Amino acid sequence: MGIERFERAGWGSRVFDAINLLFLLLLMLTMIIPFLNVISLSLSSGVASMQPDIILLPKDFSFEGYKIIWTSLDIWRPFVNSVTVTVTGTLLHVLLSSLAGYVLVHPYVPGKKLMITFILITMMIPQEAVLIPLYVVNKDLHLINTLSVLVLSGLVSGFSILLMRNFFLSIPYEIAESAKIDGAGEFWVFGAIYMRLATAGLATVTLFEFVRRWNMFTEPLVFINDSMKYTLQLALKSMIVDTSATSSTYMVTTNVKMAGIIIAILPLIAIYPFVQRFFMKGILLGASKE
Amino acid sequence: MLKTWCKYGALYLMMVPVICYFLVYGYYPLARGLQISFQDYRLIGNRPYIGFDNYGTVWHDPNFWKSLTNTLVIGGGSLVCGFLAPLIIALSLNEVLKSWFKKTAQMILYVPHLLSWVVVGGMWIYLLSPDTGLVNLLLQRTLDIPPVHYLAESGWARVVMILVATWKDMGYNCILFLAGIVAINPSLYEAARLDGATRWQQVRYVTLPQIQSTMKVVLLLNTLGVLRIFDQVFVLRNNSTAPDVDVLMYYTYQKGILDFHVGVAAAASMLVLIFTLLLTLIVRKLTRFDEV
Repeated sequence: MGIERFERAGWGSRVFDAINLLFLLLLMLTMIIPFLNVISLSLSSGVASMQPDIILLPKDFSFEGYKIIWTSLDIWRPFVNSVTVTVTGTLLHVLLSSLAGYVLVHPYVPGKKLMITFILITMMIPQEAVLIPLYVVNKDLHLINTLSVLVLSGLVSGFSILLMRNFFLSIPYEIAESAKIDGAGEFWVFGAIYMRLATAGLATVTLFEFVRRWNMFTEPLVFINDSMKYTLQLALKSMIVDTSATSSTYMVTTNVKMAGIIIAILPLIAIYPFVQRFFMKGILLGASKE
Repeated sequence: MLKTWCKYGALYLMMVPVICYFLVYGYYPLARGLQISFQDYRLIGNRPYIGFDNYGTVWHDPNFWKSLTNTLVIGGGSLVCGFLAPLIIALSLNEVLKSWFKKTAQMILYVPHLLSWVVVGGMWIYLLSPDTGLVNLLLQRTLDIPPVHYLAESGWARVVMILVATWKDMGYNCILFLAGIVAINPSLYEAARLDGATRWQQVRYVTLPQIQSTMKVVLLLNTLGVLRIFDQVFVLRNNSTAPDVDVLMYYTYQKGILDFHVGVAAAASMLVLIFTLLLTLIVRKLTRFDEV
């Protein structure tokens, strides 16, 4: 839709535009102001952050909050746990989803229909409904209170498999065929041709999985209770929400809590502007597949 | 048979880890959950089958029904608001001609969806706090409204849950609606304009009917989420609002993990599963999703 849609914009139309723009600006403010508030609180001194005041710029600027949370509250341990789980889990997730997606690209494999049905059914099982049995299964496997359990949960998903398959489908199958005639094996075709040509797909799936894993909360909550294995989200939860439980030693000031929130947001916000288009693409592909 | 294996062996090998994973972490827990729901589950010792006793316990537990009501109220509210708000925003964004503004707005609106419920919840707990929260301070200083402890008052708790959920996810659904709008054939607008349609009429008679299938997709996707609410409630709940906000998933968590009545929790999970399937079927029927 171009400009021509409104070429004879009259007075009423201009008022409409103005109100519309104002509405959107106000809406954006409801997103921006909370973040400004949190950032500024995290960069204020402990005393200033506890006072009732409208803080949109750091008051009594200091890095105190970050220092305390990193050194005294040892947030680095949950941070490292989160990074470990997120990176390992995401890499494995992308690899396994790509492998399965690649298999389903082949126009003829005996049993392909069966495999697709097998995968589709898993997509219909709500993860939440199997939470308790999953706990029991992990207990039987002696995985409770390990980081492996967090890597294993959501190791692969039907959603990612179908997404990768769709990206792979845009690669002409003739390339694979001719490579095979030249004597290439399936693994070589997969690794050297498909994985290299589907960069956009890999980026999309990697991002979605990265965000999901970084934000994962229910699984660590249920499967982890050893505080040495806490992930960032769990540590943050016990610091921000259960104030009464953690403040036995000393009071955690608001700037420290807000610093925790910023640390949890930072990796996501840092990559967001660069990868925004992949998100958009992924969302649309995902919705059209349901 | 042997020939098939030689030819497709590598492909099957590639599928093995995925199939194993789904068997162990997808299908087996489902079967195991069903089994446990009929057992008197204990950590050690034998686990006798007790028929439908666990289901009976859940069925006669008033807390279960309270949780179901809370789920339907909070989930239903989020469903309606989470559908209307992004729709209005998408329509509004579509009327903006400057593409940089449109893109920036879209980008900013999407950010909360990227963040975890702990982060979003933590932010709102502070924004809504009665003494230092920005919301109360602003209301007090501009409109002279006395501070309200929104997260501790039972009248507000559900409203806050619904509004924060809408705030978090509206950017995401907005993208879906916008994609639907972009796909509309421009000649339809041209025809409407020739017939003298105003901008409002173009929205009413062209845009809205044309994105009906997108609306159905969004509605269906969001319906599936209604019974799944958990992280949000876990972060934003507190003892004073618990009776109004504890949802089904919280009920199972409490029964299974905190109280270790695993059998009862498994039975409740199975009921949640059945409710989910029912809900999906109903929405599919209502929206005639399959005809799209």
